Amino acid sequence: MTNVIAEIKKDYLYNLFLKGERADGRAFDQYREFSVERNLISKAEGSALVKLGSSQVLVGVKMQPGEPFPDTPNRGVIITNAELVPLASPVFEPGPPNETGIELARLVDRGVRESKAIDLEALCITPGKQVWIIFIDVHILDDCGNILDAASIGAIAALLTTKVPASKFGLGEDYPLPVKDIPIATTAIEFGDVIMFDPDSDEESIANTKLTVLSTADGSICGMQKSGTGVLRQEQIYRIVDIACEKAKEIREKFLEE
Amino acid sequence: MKMIAMDGSNISFFKEGLRLDGRRADEFRPLKIEVGVLARADGSCYVEMGGNKVIAAVYGPREVHPRHLQEATRAIVRYRYNMASFSVEERKRPGPDRRSYELSKVSREALEPVIFTSYYPRSVIDVFVEVLQADAGTRTAGINAASVALADAGIPMKSMISACAAGKVADTIVLDPMKEEDNFGQADMPIAMTPTGQITLLQMDGHLTKDEFQRAMELAIKGCRDIYEIQRKSLIEKYNQLGSELAVVQEAEVL
Amino acid sequence: MDRKVVIPGDLLSEEAKRSGEGTFVKDGKVYSLLYGLANCRDRINVIPLAGKYVPAPGDNVIGVVKDITFSNWIIDINSPYDGLLHISEFPKRIDADEMSKYLSLGSSTMIRVKDVDSTMKVELTLNDRKLGLLKTGRIIEINHTRVPRLIGKGGSMISMLKKELNCNIFVGQNGRIWINGGAEDMDLALKTILLIEKEAHTSGLTDRIVDFLKKEKGAGN
Repeated sequence: MTNVIAEIKKDYLYNLFLKGERADGRAFDQYREFSVERNLISKAEGSALVKLGSSQVLVGVKMQPGEPFPDTPNRGVIITNAELVPLASPVFEPGPPNETGIELARLVDRGVRESKAIDLEALCITPGKQVWIIFIDVHILDDCGNILDAASIGAIAALLTTKVPASKFGLGEDYPLPVKDIPIATTAIEFGDVIMFDPDSDEESIANTKLTVLSTADGSICGMQKSGTGVLRQEQIYRIVDIACEKAKEIREKFLEE
Repeated sequence: MKMIAMDGSNISFFKEGLRLDGRRADEFRPLKIEVGVLARADGSCYVEMGGNKVIAAVYGPREVHPRHLQEATRAIVRYRYNMASFSVEERKRPGPDRRSYELSKVSREALEPVIFTSYYPRSVIDVFVEVLQADAGTRTAGINAASVALADAGIPMKSMISACAAGKVADTIVLDPMKEEDNFGQADMPIAMTPTGQITLLQMDGHLTKDEFQRAMELAIKGCRDIYEIQRKSLIEKYNQLGSELAVVQEAEVL
Repeated sequence: MDRKVVIPGDLLSEEAKRSGEGTFVKDGKVYSLLYGLANCRDRINVIPLAGKYVPAPGDNVIGVVKDITFSNWIIDINSPYDGLLHISEFPKRIDADEMSKYLSLGSSTMIRVKDVDSTMKVELTLNDRKLGLLKTGRIIEINHTRVPRLIGKGGSMISMLKKELNCNIFVGQNGRIWINGGAEDMDLALKTILLIEKEAHTSGLTDRIVDFLKKEKGAGN
């Protein structure tokens, strides 16, 4: 299903951008209001519903014991999956995840993995035989733009509420999953030399390029992804990374408060 | 529920005439319906029934892709029932399985009789139901949500559809079986119907005598009628809410 | 006038002859077809709160070019049905290989529904001087069910808006509205139209909009 964007709308948005404005009145580096509701799904070991503007993303974490990978016999396993279900947008179609969905899942995964937020060695039950497998399932409910950042917030928020279900499997008492960092994805788009964060769906639809920066609590970078067919200059990238880490810090503080 | 043996053989479903969750035999679980919960969809509805949490979205009528599915004189209706991986005790592999195909089919057929499909030839009305948490009775919760979402999307319909199951546990006919009753009970029979009593969905598994079947039917019909009233109330309330938002805006402007 | 919120299947009258828009008759009785507001006069009409625009001959709408074929432009008209603009319905003679020069992908145009057949094939025309390409200004979308309120009785609301807002406004029956004027005037026009959309079902709307405009303009000074 293709969505044609009227040129007149593009022109309007672009002219606003040139004046330093956005259609909803936000500053270029300003995120929409967001909220995190935790433990909505009692069947999951951890869960979080993130609302970022009108976008809604539900993340559930399930855990079960299983076999480790042969090359990492002492480490637990993280499996991240994202469902861009057709309920969430007129352009999502039923069927197995497409490249957009897989990219989203892999970026959420990269944030959790590369930040070392989860100590995989602590998830070893019997070396070489049994380890904990963590399933992070991202369920997009309403795509009004920037579902990636919402999903990354949702994933770490869900992990922070996760209880390891040891008793269910006769492995002792349940205990909270140790989480050592809070990786946050922050995404900017570029359009005609203007850079803005947390794009809504209109802004996304006219953007040429997107850059997502995954950063950790100490302000360093743990993952990046440029997507879209446009190009970015070196200084644009530096600027995005600077602001991205700042924004990630704000987001981290905001949801630790809650 | 540690007292339940794996085969449910020594389970006691009733205590002083009440069920495990304190309900009488003819009561359904607490039901919450919210209309218009999604921004992108043309119509949407969130339903909580006991531990079930489902969300329904309607898109359309819209263009049919692929084109060969178009019908010259009517809209086609598609229904997709899908469970989130984390909605059940043991993680479910994402994507449709045989069960969800069957439920999608019978749910679509439960709703289609009331939709005036001839108003929109060559188009499609898409109904998507996502089960976020499952606790026995997801198909009926899904149909209840979908019916409200269709109304919310402005789809022309003969009437609403309401759905509810009756079951048999410990030789007793009960309304709206919960998880334990469903797993270890003797029969489960979900139905859907119009407010005038036309049945649009009927499934049954287990064992019922003809007499038990009739009692189960009557109980399920009563359940549907009560659910209909809650669906109706949720739609009227959404409208009134729009009204009260306006009142607030106006007051604020006066200040 | 008696108004009430109804849902599909609600019994509205025992007299079949009172059946109006948004209702259906079964066994001689009138029922609501839709979720919306029932206006009960001699006839009962149900005005829906939502729903898709279905084109009818003579409707003026705003379309966006979504594809160009050998001799047709395919135009999105905010409906389940795309419109076809045949090259012969363009106000001047042009060659097929020049089509995108006149109306390119993504361009917006005021356009009229010329004909709709029983399979919902929608033919459009640009053959009227009132119609034409939209190059400046802004287009907003409201629910098409609110369009009658935006126009008002005999065009009263829309003429008042044009005058008070100092903008050129074209209302498409498909819920797309084009506004052209100064940047601030357009901002206020947009705010006003969205307010009309939101309050479309309330009474005394014109008076409230007049008050709203007075206040907004006062605040601007």
